[in-house]
Amino acid sequence: MTEVLRELAVLFGGWRGENTGAAKAPDPAGNITAADLAADDAFNRLALRIHAVQRASNPMLRRFWDSAPAADPAAWHEIPPIPVMAFRDVPIACGPPEAVFRTSGTGGGRGGRGEHHVPSLELYRAAARGNYRRHLLRGVERIRVVSLVPDPAVAKDSSLARMAGFIAEEPEVAGAVWAFDSVHGIDVDSVRNSARGTVPILLLTTAFALVHLLDALGPQRLPLPPGSRIMETGGFKGRVAEVDRRTLYARVERALAVGARDIVNEYGMTELLSQAYDGELPTRSSTVRRHRFPPWVRTRALDPATLSPLPPGQPGLLSHFDLANAGSVCHILTEDFGCTTDDGGIELAGRAPGASLRGCSLMAESFLRVVGR
Amino acid sequence: MSDGTPADAWVWPPGLPAPDALQASTAGGMNIRYPKSDHHLARSVMSSLAESRKRLAAVRAADLVKALGALGERLAGGLDDRIVAEVARNAGVTPAMARIVVQGVADTWTTESLHRLLCSEFPDPAVLDRFVGGADRDMRAAAPGVTLHIGAGSVPGVTVTSIIRALLVKSPVLAKPGAGDVALTIRFARELHRADVRLRGALAVQYWPGGDPAWDAWEREALALADQVVVYGGDDTIESIRARAPAATRLIEHPNRLGVAVVDPRAAPDADVQAARAVSLFDQMGCVSTHLILLLGNRGDAERWCARLAGRLQALASTLPPAAAPAGELSARHQLHGRLAVRRAASGDTGLWTGGTGAWTVALAPPEVFEPVGGRTAWVVPVPDLSACLEILAPLSRVLQTVGLAGLGERPQAFGEALVAAGATRIVPLDRVPFPDSDWLHDGSRPLGELVRWAELR
Repeated sequence: MTEVLRELAVLFGGWRGENTGAAKAPDPAGNITAADLAADDAFNRLALRIHAVQRASNPMLRRFWDSAPAADPAAWHEIPPIPVMAFRDVPIACGPPEAVFRTSGTGGGRGGRGEHHVPSLELYRAAARGNYRRHLLRGVERIRVVSLVPDPAVAKDSSLARMAGFIAEEPEVAGAVWAFDSVHGIDVDSVRNSARGTVPILLLTTAFALVHLLDALGPQRLPLPPGSRIMETGGFKGRVAEVDRRTLYARVERALAVGARDIVNEYGMTELLSQAYDGELPTRSSTVRRHRFPPWVRTRALDPATLSPLPPGQPGLLSHFDLANAGSVCHILTEDFGCTTDDGGIELAGRAPGASLRGCSLMAESFLRVVGR
Repeated sequence: MSDGTPADAWVWPPGLPAPDALQASTAGGMNIRYPKSDHHLARSVMSSLAESRKRLAAVRAADLVKALGALGERLAGGLDDRIVAEVARNAGVTPAMARIVVQGVADTWTTESLHRLLCSEFPDPAVLDRFVGGADRDMRAAAPGVTLHIGAGSVPGVTVTSIIRALLVKSPVLAKPGAGDVALTIRFARELHRADVRLRGALAVQYWPGGDPAWDAWEREALALADQVVVYGGDDTIESIRARAPAATRLIEHPNRLGVAVVDPRAAPDADVQAARAVSLFDQMGCVSTHLILLLGNRGDAERWCARLAGRLQALASTLPPAAAPAGELSARHQLHGRLAVRRAASGDTGLWTGGTGAWTVALAPPEVFEPVGGRTAWVVPVPDLSACLEILAPLSRVLQTVGLAGLGERPQAFGEALVAAGATRIVPLDRVPFPDSDWLHDGSRPLGELVRWAELR
């Protein structure tokens, strides 16, 4: 497994944001680049190879897959997905973890938090880097990071904090300010001091923290230097509707002088080592917001009743097959709702719509709160 | 209305002007319309109800039983297919389920049932009409002013039951049904307004979307003018009402609850049939619905019993099919099924039986994995003895309500005492779980007694 992880880190680390798709002729020697994974054949071959290694490395996964109807898959999408909730119950790893990332959830076993055991941080960085460079740092000569995501040195179990740390180490970044911690919340003075210079700022934040920053500013404006940009994340897992996001962006523009065109939403989850972004600075559209993963991820929208794949444009439950998850498990069924698009993007629609009507029987969310799990 | 025409989701006391403007929405699969939020209207409705109090007070309790019982019987007896279909569409259940649920609940609305309820709480029901003499004092169960009922949920019949209780103790009532309980409540209110001139001024029904900021002023007005508020719902609903109700307004809360069963399969060979029914009725949305089954026996016993329960649930899914679930619920089921399959692969401590497209689920799992997810999901936990049951139930004490028993003998006193200590308020044979009697101690309170104020005259 270690060899595969290293190989993938090199492969993904070489990606510069291009997708060659199926148009490129295969290399006679069988060598591929990350961009080649946009083609189904190359993706499938690598997916099945990783699947075989995961089967051999993790008896639990082998038993899980063997008990499923398609025990001998011929294509990546025949490999049964692991539900994202399973990360709350058992460690899912194909090697000793170099880091354990934990979700911020409040329900379920083991303290109620899902755990992603990650055997290779080198692979995590490689999987994250190409896409965040493509979407956040393109055209940037010099920028300062101001992060409302916790300092990775403190929040060691946060995959988001770790990625923020990777971004802060990029060559274009002229210093980073960690302006949030879980005890004191947002350090507004640090944000204000950072905004005084002329060097553009890349503000890394959760949607939640961004709202808190705006609330803390109140009617005051804090214009960030020209060329500043924002990466915000979260919200889609917390039922923040798109209309709320538009309202949020309007508030950001008023308070921070950063327009919607310069705000990128990152879609990621602790259980996936790759991320999707909904645009590509500085040319992104402010109206059409489609998320894109790197070419080593495949997303499908599945019929909520049957889990059959749906054609582009039809909303369903999203499953992701992320080759960067070679050290744990690649195919994950999420609770997110959305559709794929003809051009390979995804349009997110938040959590799958629940019952607008509910009975008087206690359900999981309240139950878990009451019993303190 | 099956043609898509919005149904009127309000019934006001006579004499109030018609609303100026209406708004439309859907409740379940039913299109409805109701007066737009205007807190002046809330004041008018509440004032009108308050004015009816004296007239209502003049009706003897025994006569109220007869009048309301006759209404309940007429409503239950007139359940034709069209009405059942409307209730089903509104509640998001199948017509077959709606019919069983409404008939089951309506059994508590008959004259006989209401009489039993009244007598169980007031040995001399005349205490609701006047002072009743005692050895050293006279007692009176005083009618409160206006009762505001706020329902949040989709189990049909909950609001009608609450209305009947308020009127029985002579409190005029403004009832906001849960979104899935509109059709039956409106039908009852119309019937009452048509049938009884003494009561029609004492009942207003109006649906509004609870928690909607646009209705905040309306809700605050109603809360301020109500003498007491009966609120059903989840944590959010109850916390929201608590936060806005004036301190002097009495709150009677019925939060969401959890039902469990304790089964000795050796002594109750048909407990699987009873459990399947307790899990399936109301599509597991009722506060009495069973989610967790503690089975006396070892793992092998439990596996065999789970397989039988699965068969019973499958049979019920054919005769009493579940309603189509929204994507969020289907997603939760896929997550649950996959999660348990992963757990089984990891440790072998979990068993899983499922119906087609998630119509039902039986999960054999350790207690720490249990969480109520609905959708006819029965969690079965094998236990060696009754003391092990109590250990599992201990953390659930704040949410526990109904405990269905099978195979433990008739009214087992010692275990009953232990269950009470564990938080249970309703301990009944498993086959009686789905439909409480009219005089049940609802969430540990007397349903009429909690509505009245006692006064003494010495």
